[in-house]
Amino acid sequence: MAHHIDSSRNSCALHGALQVIEAIEGVVPVVHSTAGCGAQHYLGVNRLNTGGERFGGPAVSSSNISEKHVVFGGSSRLREQLKNTVKIVEGDLYVIVTGCATEMVGDDIPAMNKEGRDQDFPVIYANTPGFRGDVHQGYQLAIKALIEQLPDLGKSEQPPVKGLVNILGILPRQDPFWEGNLKEIGRLIEGIGLTPNLLFGYGQGVADWKRIPDALLNIVVSVWGDAPALLLEERYGTPRLELEGLPVGAAAGRFLYKTSELLQLDSRRTELFVQAEERRFDAQLAALADTWYRAGFQREFALAGESAQVAGISEFLSGTLGLIPRTLIITDNPPEYAREALLTRLTSLLNGFPTEVSFTEDFAEISDLLRSSSAALVLGSGLEESVAAGLGVPFLQISFPLSDRFVLSRGYAGFRGAVTLLEDLGSALLTDRHHNPVHQQLPSALAFL
Amino acid sequence: MSLLKAKASRTREKQLDALNAWQGTLFSALTEFSGGEPVKRIRTFSQSTEDDLLYALRVLAGIRDSVVVIHAPRGCAAAALFHQVESGRGRWIVTNLDDRDTIMGADGKLRKAVKEVNQRYKPELLFIVSSPVVAINNDDIQSVVEELHEELELDIVPIYVTGFASHHAVTGYDTTLHSLLKYLGGKKGKRPHDERVNLLSIAEHPHDRNEAERLLGALGLELNTLPDDASKNSFRQAAMARLSVSLDYGAAHYLGVCLRDEYDVPFIGTPRPVGLGATGRWLAGIGNALELQDAAQRVHEEESEKVRHSIGDFTLKGLRVYLSLSPATAFGVLELVEELGGEVVGITVSRLDQLHKGAIEELSGRHPAILIHVADGQPFEEVNIIKRLSPDLYLGDSLHLAQVGRLGMPVVSLRDLPVLGYQGVTALARRISTALLNRSFGEALSRTSVPYKDGWLRRSPNWHIKKEVK
Repeated sequence: MAHHIDSSRNSCALHGALQVIEAIEGVVPVVHSTAGCGAQHYLGVNRLNTGGERFGGPAVSSSNISEKHVVFGGSSRLREQLKNTVKIVEGDLYVIVTGCATEMVGDDIPAMNKEGRDQDFPVIYANTPGFRGDVHQGYQLAIKALIEQLPDLGKSEQPPVKGLVNILGILPRQDPFWEGNLKEIGRLIEGIGLTPNLLFGYGQGVADWKRIPDALLNIVVSVWGDAPALLLEERYGTPRLELEGLPVGAAAGRFLYKTSELLQLDSRRTELFVQAEERRFDAQLAALADTWYRAGFQREFALAGESAQVAGISEFLSGTLGLIPRTLIITDNPPEYAREALLTRLTSLLNGFPTEVSFTEDFAEISDLLRSSSAALVLGSGLEESVAAGLGVPFLQISFPLSDRFVLSRGYAGFRGAVTLLEDLGSALLTDRHHNPVHQQLPSALAFL
Repeated sequence: MSLLKAKASRTREKQLDALNAWQGTLFSALTEFSGGEPVKRIRTFSQSTEDDLLYALRVLAGIRDSVVVIHAPRGCAAAALFHQVESGRGRWIVTNLDDRDTIMGADGKLRKAVKEVNQRYKPELLFIVSSPVVAINNDDIQSVVEELHEELELDIVPIYVTGFASHHAVTGYDTTLHSLLKYLGGKKGKRPHDERVNLLSIAEHPHDRNEAERLLGALGLELNTLPDDASKNSFRQAAMARLSVSLDYGAAHYLGVCLRDEYDVPFIGTPRPVGLGATGRWLAGIGNALELQDAAQRVHEEESEKVRHSIGDFTLKGLRVYLSLSPATAFGVLELVEELGGEVVGITVSRLDQLHKGAIEELSGRHPAILIHVADGQPFEEVNIIKRLSPDLYLGDSLHLAQVGRLGMPVVSLRDLPVLGYQGVTALARRISTALLNRSFGEALSRTSVPYKDGWLRRSPNWHIKKEVK
């Protein structure tokens, strides 16, 4: 049974599905629910990772069911709404997504979808009531609908692309840096001779989703890409490569070598590309050195975010930058099997450090964990800002929801993302220096020596 | 019958014949409301918009020492996260109803949540906010409230919003304020009145509230402001005040009427203090009620002089302006635009009801042909209308400014801009003059198209508004 949550940051399945749909060009959501569902999504999800989206407002089509539909059913209202959406809103594909009320009433969505198809509307559907889970389940439900139902609307008309690789597991907007992260992973893949299928963001449309079956490989960045990748393996036999987290810095090199090996690419070419990337990164690291000493980079940190962010960023901060991981809080409720894998992975990575790893999305629990962490740097969402202020330590916003940060295309993945993280972290530490001139806390690992 | 005996307030549709879908000239709006109950219309295509649950969360986020328990699946709490991040206050939890709860009910879960959150935060007040799922299931919140009120010795206030019973989000203000008064106002009946005046301020910008408090302070009034920034005690005190005045008569109407009918606190109808004229009438109305006419007149003259000085020769002469605002703000801003020499060519208001009859009557005498469009968050209609009217300036407070901005005209957001009182005139004039001085952003933004098909933009903008078949 699901437990109550203090200040949840994972919203609901409908909102997760909307994140997916609104991040694909030419795809139009048709929300079949009460009027407020789309507005909640706009205020409580979109606005908090910078706001605005493709349509420039709350859900562009929503049946806004009223009491009458709750009592007598809302199928006819959906029929009317769908027909008019196709007439009014420009789109290549329309996706019916449902909310709690229409699911409880029992509206027959597949039947309405079929009626739309009979009229040659390019329409698919996903049942996404909020009581079925959070944004992560919504992401999976929407992708499942796309994978399973798009083929009914006709095959890809483009000639197959050579060396196509799908990228799964980065949730648009739930990762505020999703677009930057996707682009950098795409750039890296291109560097070793493959063609990335980013699927979300600028220039990514229905044609790219129709190309999914042509891919040689599915790269799975987070646990949330597992189910879609398994489904694709089942349907098309596409192999998958599960990453150990968001590949930040050195991890990006590892992921490229693995991909190259798996697909038997030209190993010399991969090596040359990775080495060139590493050299450029090393030069930036050398340029940072003076500031690293001056601003006191080396300190204990606490990090709260989604599993892929926590795994990737903590590896980079401890493995390359020499910071000490103290408290890691994973907020995206990964399934049991993934928790074990994450723990094993983090334990080997953080071997020798006094690190505490927790799984929770509860604000009060997260705040307590941070307060007792003795960390001298906090990375987390906008919700963690006040706790960091209370601790009197520098703070960097890296996860959803963002409060006073604006992100369009910056990301922390790859080699370029690692440099961006150096810039952001350096700025946070330097700004803090003026407010808190001295941090003389002894790292807790040494305190009892 | 006593209003507060009911479980919740009636909808705005039932209270005031409120319309949410309508389009025509000011003159035809007058006809619509002159012949008894206007005919209700519905939309055959609609876009998402705020509902009573969102408005309830908005009010509750402003109440001190309180915790909100949102009894719902998780997404219904998204807006609470927004308020928490935006204002840095507002503690809330969501009961996180799942598949099973929708079948079996979840009052056990609610009980547990209330107990734990009380233990954790020791609030002075606890709210239980209902949701579509709970309303459909008819989950028993009332017995949880009664049991735990005794057991925990805590004031627990249930807010029965549904998400579907009304087309008007403002119904959520009524539902919330109904419960706040019912549970915190004390017993019905005449009370010894004290010197305080209730300032009914609902989800206003803090600067706007401060401006109103400044002006009423200058009249020497002692204020009890609610529900914004109120505490538990504010509602008890409200029942003993000598008068209620509002910043938005429409939004505060139900609260004012309840205070009047249940506790004998007089409630006066005043315009929203937007622009010099309306702010002057607002002050004069309050001055009249309290026999402070001279002081009100003096404050108005002094403050108006300062405003005239600060805005200098700023003028909107020759400019055609479109307004898309909540009704009280729209009528106030319309007058302000005229004060500044501009011409309003069309208005979108989020609702129209019996309370607006006077304003419509007055305006339609002067401008019978101005287009009035009634819609809350239906930008597909607005875009269609604006394309036809091509105004020189757009003033709006909706969630879809980023969409209408693509039409290229200068857009000024009144959502986060304090506009009330004398300082509001200066702030708004300044924002407008900046918007007109450099239009490059709008021009650049217009390279991105609106999401609608040409076929729709050629259709009549009221195409999807139909009379409801009962």
